[in-house]
Amino acid sequence: MSNATLTGLGPHTAAEPAARLNEAKSFNEDWLAVILGLAIFGLALAGLVRIDLIGWVVSTSVWSNLGQALGPVSKNYAAIGGIGALLATYVALTIVLSAGAAALKSDVKRFALAFTAVFWIAYASWIVGNYANFAAVTLADQQKFGITWSLKLTNEGAYIFALIVGLFIANFLPRFADAIKDAVRPELYIKIAIVILGGFIAVTASGKLSFASSLLLRGVAAIVEAYLIYWAVVYFIARKWLGFSREWSAPLAAGISICGISAAIAIGGAIRARPVVPALVSSLVLVFSVIELLILPFAAQTWLAHEPLVAGAWMGLAVKTDGAAVAAGGITESLILAKNAAEGIHYQPGWILGTAVTIKVFIDIFIGVWAFILGYIWTNHINVTRDAEKTRAREIWERFPKFIIGFVITFFVGLYLVLGTPADIASKVPPAIGEANTFRVIFFILTFFSIGVLSNFKALWREGLGKLAFVYFVSIFGFVIWVGLAISYIFFHGITPPLAS
Amino acid sequence: MSQSNIRPELQEELRSAIVEPLLPIEKKLIAWSLGIGLTLLVVLAAINHMFPPTP
Repeated sequence: MSNATLTGLGPHTAAEPAARLNEAKSFNEDWLAVILGLAIFGLALAGLVRIDLIGWVVSTSVWSNLGQALGPVSKNYAAIGGIGALLATYVALTIVLSAGAAALKSDVKRFALAFTAVFWIAYASWIVGNYANFAAVTLADQQKFGITWSLKLTNEGAYIFALIVGLFIANFLPRFADAIKDAVRPELYIKIAIVILGGFIAVTASGKLSFASSLLLRGVAAIVEAYLIYWAVVYFIARKWLGFSREWSAPLAAGISICGISAAIAIGGAIRARPVVPALVSSLVLVFSVIELLILPFAAQTWLAHEPLVAGAWMGLAVKTDGAAVAAGGITESLILAKNAAEGIHYQPGWILGTAVTIKVFIDIFIGVWAFILGYIWTNHINVTRDAEKTRAREIWERFPKFIIGFVITFFVGLYLVLGTPADIASKVPPAIGEANTFRVIFFILTFFSIGVLSNFKALWREGLGKLAFVYFVSIFGFVIWVGLAISYIFFHGITPPLAS
Repeated sequence: MSQSNIRPELQEELRSAIVEPLLPIEKKLIAWSLGIGLTLLVVLAAINHMFPPTP
């Protein structure tokens, strides 16, 4: 998985196709995300035997008095206070992620220094975003905090603050952005978060299993739409209407229609495109995902507040990187739950986010398959190559996003623990996973901030990518978003999450 | 390849690329993708309608 930047060549994208495939085979960000996500999930489960290993992690509440903003997520660690929890979280994450950087053969000292800046700036943005005048939603909350107005962004709206701070750094402090780039890894952070999220979604779904499984069927429709419809239309637009070559059109169509960065790189590799092609496509994907992230959740709250699962599915179908799609799902859930709560309807949290995540994960699963299909067509029918360079079936596994394995593990383990264990154990599972979920929130914060730091709009313009950006704009805003909305409506219309007990 | 060398080449390449006509295999790929995709969507929508999710 690459960390593409708008300078065109990120740390991992300069490799030739064979070398990129070698990276896919060897230890990479995906495997690191699996290990770290499972480790956090495993440590959280120690709570089932009354051992609280991660209750010290910092949690932020909506605040009007800064002294009350922070605290450890578990009362067992109340003695360390909010600042203690924040410091402990910073130290633990720095150590663990630096070890991960070492495993990825990155410069550990550079990473640790960069991560220090990333963590403190991102978390400070999160704290600011939780200020009551920004985040408080209901009149009762406003009265509780002694305020007379609020932007009502909810506490998860604070993610947008982290994103905006990142955007500011990218566009006005580019040298600082370059200095911290070693720790600006949105794909790594969101993949760790998604692995942890598997357990959270399992706990959410366990209470309504048949309902959850029927939602999975609808996820299959998302795969059909992304690969067979979106990709074909965007490829046709790029080739026929805008005259792009095959080398540019295939990764571009993959980036716009399937999953942004991962798909552009996978398809670029499969058709043996030059590395710079998917790298630049990835840059575009990131910028447009930011634009979608700033617009679509609020559009969903305005027009789809009474169709919450349509909104969740829409985020999974329309927003085209893992990080931005899952992030959009989280914000959309927060905004829609708040709006409904203000009307007296209290939906159970987790379903809207879970729908967005499930749709995105389903789409991700088949990247390797689509890369194999296109690679086969390209190496056998379009740019016919020697046998040694033809696409092989093993590339399906090599291009399969490994972090999904972690998501599946935490999902089924969580499901088993809630449904297949005695009641005294099962009852401890939700609070244990709740502590792991606090880490998920922190990785979301890091993701939002990192997405912002990678989105240098001026550099994109300087690259002369106007024509590529035009294809992207026309495809996303002229087709993908609206067809995604239509498909989401067809399959999720009238379905609402269970009510909170 | 340095960044300063890439940009002028890419800009020129994107501006003045010779148009590659769609090959028969590309037309087949687009047509089959769309055809199978739309058919499957109709089938899935029908299944969705016949078996709505149970709350």
